[in-house]
Amino acid sequence: MKILFKTYLSLLFALIATIAVAQVDRTKAPEPTEAPEINIAKPYTFTLKNGLKVYVVENHKLPRVAFSLSLDRDPILEGDKAGYVNFAGELLTKGTKNRTKAELDAEIDFIGANISAFSTGIYASSLTKHKEKLMELMTDILFNPAFPEDELEKLKKQTLSGLAASKDDPNAIASNVKGVVVYGKDHPYGEFTTEESVENITLEDTKKYYNTYFKPNIAYLAIVGDITPKEAKKLIKKNFSDWEKGTVPSAEYETPEPPQKTFVALVDRDASVQSVINVSYPVDLKVGSEDVIKARVLNQILGGGFSSRLMQNLREDKAFTYGARSSLSSDKLVGSFTASASVRNEVTDSAVYEFMSELEKIVNEGVTQQELDAAKASIAGSFARSLESPQTVASFAINTAIYGLPADYYTNYLKKLDAVTLEDVKAMAQKYILPENANIVIVGKGAEIAKGLKKFGEVRYFDRQGNEYDPKDNLKIPEGVTAQTVMADYFKALGGKDKLKAIKNMKLVYDASVQGQSLSINEIKKDGALKQEVGMSGMVLTKTVVNGDKVKIVMQGQEVPLPEEAKKDVIASAKIFPELYFDEMGITYELKSILDLDGETAYAVEVNMPSGTKATYYYSADSGLKLKTASVQKGPQGEVTVSEEYKAYEERNGIMIPTKKLLNQGFPINTTLKSVEFNVDLADDTFKIN
Amino acid sequence: MIKRLNLALLFLLLVFSVQAQDKKIEFTEFDLDNGMHVILHQDNSTPIVVVSVMYHVGSKNENPERTGFAHFFEHLLFEGSKNIKRGEFDKYITNAGGVNNANTSNDRTYYYEILPSNQLKLGLWLESERLLHANIDQVGVETQREVVKEEKRQRVDNQPYGSILSEIAKRAYKVHPYRWTTIGSLEHLNAASLDEFMNFYETFYVPENATISIAGDIQIEEAKKLVNQYFADIPRGGNEIPRPTVVEPKQKEEVRDTIYDNIQLPAVIQAYHMPEQGSEDSYALEMLGTVLSGGQSARMYKSLVDEQQKALQVAAIPFSSEDPGLYLLFGLPTIGGDLKDLEEAMDAEITKLKNELISETEFQKVRNQVENDFISGNSTMTGIAESLANYHVYYGDANLINNEIDRYMAVTREDIQRVAKKYLTEDNRVVLYYLPKSQQNN
Repeated sequence: MKILFKTYLSLLFALIATIAVAQVDRTKAPEPTEAPEINIAKPYTFTLKNGLKVYVVENHKLPRVAFSLSLDRDPILEGDKAGYVNFAGELLTKGTKNRTKAELDAEIDFIGANISAFSTGIYASSLTKHKEKLMELMTDILFNPAFPEDELEKLKKQTLSGLAASKDDPNAIASNVKGVVVYGKDHPYGEFTTEESVENITLEDTKKYYNTYFKPNIAYLAIVGDITPKEAKKLIKKNFSDWEKGTVPSAEYETPEPPQKTFVALVDRDASVQSVINVSYPVDLKVGSEDVIKARVLNQILGGGFSSRLMQNLREDKAFTYGARSSLSSDKLVGSFTASASVRNEVTDSAVYEFMSELEKIVNEGVTQQELDAAKASIAGSFARSLESPQTVASFAINTAIYGLPADYYTNYLKKLDAVTLEDVKAMAQKYILPENANIVIVGKGAEIAKGLKKFGEVRYFDRQGNEYDPKDNLKIPEGVTAQTVMADYFKALGGKDKLKAIKNMKLVYDASVQGQSLSINEIKKDGALKQEVGMSGMVLTKTVVNGDKVKIVMQGQEVPLPEEAKKDVIASAKIFPELYFDEMGITYELKSILDLDGETAYAVEVNMPSGTKATYYYSADSGLKLKTASVQKGPQGEVTVSEEYKAYEERNGIMIPTKKLLNQGFPINTTLKSVEFNVDLADDTFKIN
Repeated sequence: MIKRLNLALLFLLLVFSVQAQDKKIEFTEFDLDNGMHVILHQDNSTPIVVVSVMYHVGSKNENPERTGFAHFFEHLLFEGSKNIKRGEFDKYITNAGGVNNANTSNDRTYYYEILPSNQLKLGLWLESERLLHANIDQVGVETQREVVKEEKRQRVDNQPYGSILSEIAKRAYKVHPYRWTTIGSLEHLNAASLDEFMNFYETFYVPENATISIAGDIQIEEAKKLVNQYFADIPRGGNEIPRPTVVEPKQKEEVRDTIYDNIQLPAVIQAYHMPEQGSEDSYALEMLGTVLSGGQSARMYKSLVDEQQKALQVAAIPFSSEDPGLYLLFGLPTIGGDLKDLEEAMDAEITKLKNELISETEFQKVRNQVENDFISGNSTMTGIAESLANYHVYYGDANLINNEIDRYMAVTREDIQRVAKKYLTEDNRVVLYYLPKSQQNN
């Protein structure tokens, strides 16, 4: 009976299944069911007497809890100490009055937790059962940072090597100059950290920042996860009630305006094979304003994703670039529009043309229904996915408080998105897309691209610090200046040909640092011979010896074979002052241009090295001294620009010697002159090659 | 001294007993008549749904003369189907506001979409089309060959250290199919005929070799019904699914080699043979990995990076897999540093583990870290869908999503010392020095 019943049942089931299967029409995509309602949980919120606002989002799915503290303060203009605000944040986790950095690391790892600190807050998370300990560590970092001097020095060193590495990076240059051009140097969004500003930062600056801004009355604490409001309240009262409030300064800044007329801001970077293009200007789009959602739809269609117009046009259709995109952001102070791509030199003007055409087209013609539907679906999907993280819910609540948004701003988000019409998008385009009032910031090789850019507006030149200069006034090779006069000036500046020639040999010792490692470079030069040793803590890492037409390079005990061609270059540069012998060695050179080299006017002389490689030597138009040499070498990972910069010349025995050199062979090496000796007694076998 | 004592006391106070977690991941699972396994996890807190299908086929199921097939299919099966035109597969997903992706390992291939939950049917339709009658033709094969070529160029050839896995694998395995990597050989793909691709599809892309795992804003009964509608009528393949039975013989002596690659910084890699995933020893080895490189206070990091400054980066990574896998130790020396010197320092840390039992405090730290990572792995629907599928496919026990942690917690300090002695030996390893091509000479 039982068996029979079972069989009957499975028969029935098979029947149902067949019927069900028959109902599926495979030939077209199934329609979606009714759009799901999105419920955004309301956090439990309370405020401590000291002003700390707390938001609790319960989520007991996993036994984890996260505390995220954020400060709401006005943007800060850091001036000649740009970077100190970030430093202050980073130093918080580098030791407290109760724990050294090592002790902190050990205790954080011990409970399997994560804690990170930054200039506007602290984030800490762990399993629920460790929450008391987590809170203890987090508040120790928050209330008792020690600001150790040696950690500041370490941070400076790391930042400086990071800056050195990014100094020649066209994207970094573009981002810096774009900031200055769009917002101005006196606006917090227009300034950036430089080597000089890092040097200016003191421990006092970071402490002062901490003491001024880490105050409960401007702080929001989000607690998310496996915790009840009651537990949270108890925990927070216990740990945060003693936090003393204070007066926090506010700041106002002039609102930057888009330019009256579109122009090109060109940063001339001689080594560029690609141009970095940013079409950008400030927009008056405040967080939470009526326009924000409609503007997001507009940007999604213009340059928001893979199927956007810019991507389809510049990448898929024209193959100018790997990616072209745009952003239209809202902000508390001032928003911005940016459309950007990196393109090959020869298509720079064509690419700008396509950018500007797309901007005009969307203003004049608006978008299609199909584009509008796809954009809405994409935005709605990503909004829904973002809700999976309970952090999002907390951030919605905090944003609502900080920006004074309507209480239902986020709950109505999708409704408002759905209501966006074709007319709305067109109106947004007419309001926020300004092809007539754009800064077209381009970092690229001026000699190859400048001419083609004139059709988009006046082409103005900016250096890497964002200072404008007039290439016509300063940068025309003066009458009578030739490669020969540049060389003659150089010899004169060094101390005069006679003095230079009187030097029989020279012994130089440089201290160097590479990403925090100390090296020493010992160099002995004699005409036609050279010995250079690079060492670390007494060990010789590389040794180069040149003697007549022989060259030997040993790296970590192994001889590095050198192609004949490259050998010739090494021999040529083994001279004490190689330029003295260029003519003699048959090395030809030619004055190519006058340009701005990091704020200094320089002559660029192209030198044809014996190997056939072309190198560019830069000499100051002002002092006559050599500032830099650069050449493009084929390395294992494609072409790399190898360069040497000479700085801080000082007189030694009547001769000018650079006391600082910056070498770059893919990674930067800073060297400082330790000692120099002239005409010393050398052992006979100094340059011996076996 | 006093400070240190306090700290130790503090640690002792903090040593909680690890209790079984009470936050369980609930799920429903069943088989369709055609052998397809279905796992459903309902969580209605966010209106999204993850639809995923895991096929129990990876590079180890490949014919040694046709390597790269499994991964190639991960591309080919986006080309469309009887009812989905070429290039439309992704479009359906983007237009619905979803995102999707796929990946292939030695052991399995995984496809998934994250969709708004009212588009569950769309996900089921797309996945059922892929399984039932995907479009496999010459045009698709040729298009995807080009894409895979680019992928290889970008991820292996042009990527610093991108060849590590393949260089290690071919030295560590003599007979087992783990000796090649998932990307396989472009020559093999070029040489393969359309029939061979069809045959692979018909062998492995069958319901009895597939697990559909759905997580998110669903109603279980409704989802069951829909899965039935879209998948129940897909016929069984019926052929036997080839699975390698070959056992890699024990390695008898150390293998050591130098690779010249397009890199700026040299690197040292040690790869030790380790037991298959799920075995007791593999859990102990994973915990040993945390001892060595989990967090800034971990042994290798603290000693080699922070204190001795011999390394810029060090990592211990167990590559667990269905058949015995490899345990990788990776070291990147500081600029100008010597590889041999770094390797010796790494070896010294291993020797220390073999000679001295780790302290109770350190052991507890590692347990806490492992527990935190285990639990955090289940914080998204995507993570849950994949874990459920993995546990079913590999162990036939999806509930390991809740209790695999017990296996980690069963590991003792003595186990960690024992597996260090047993597996982290010279004879059992392959050591590669990666050097910049510029240093290559005679």
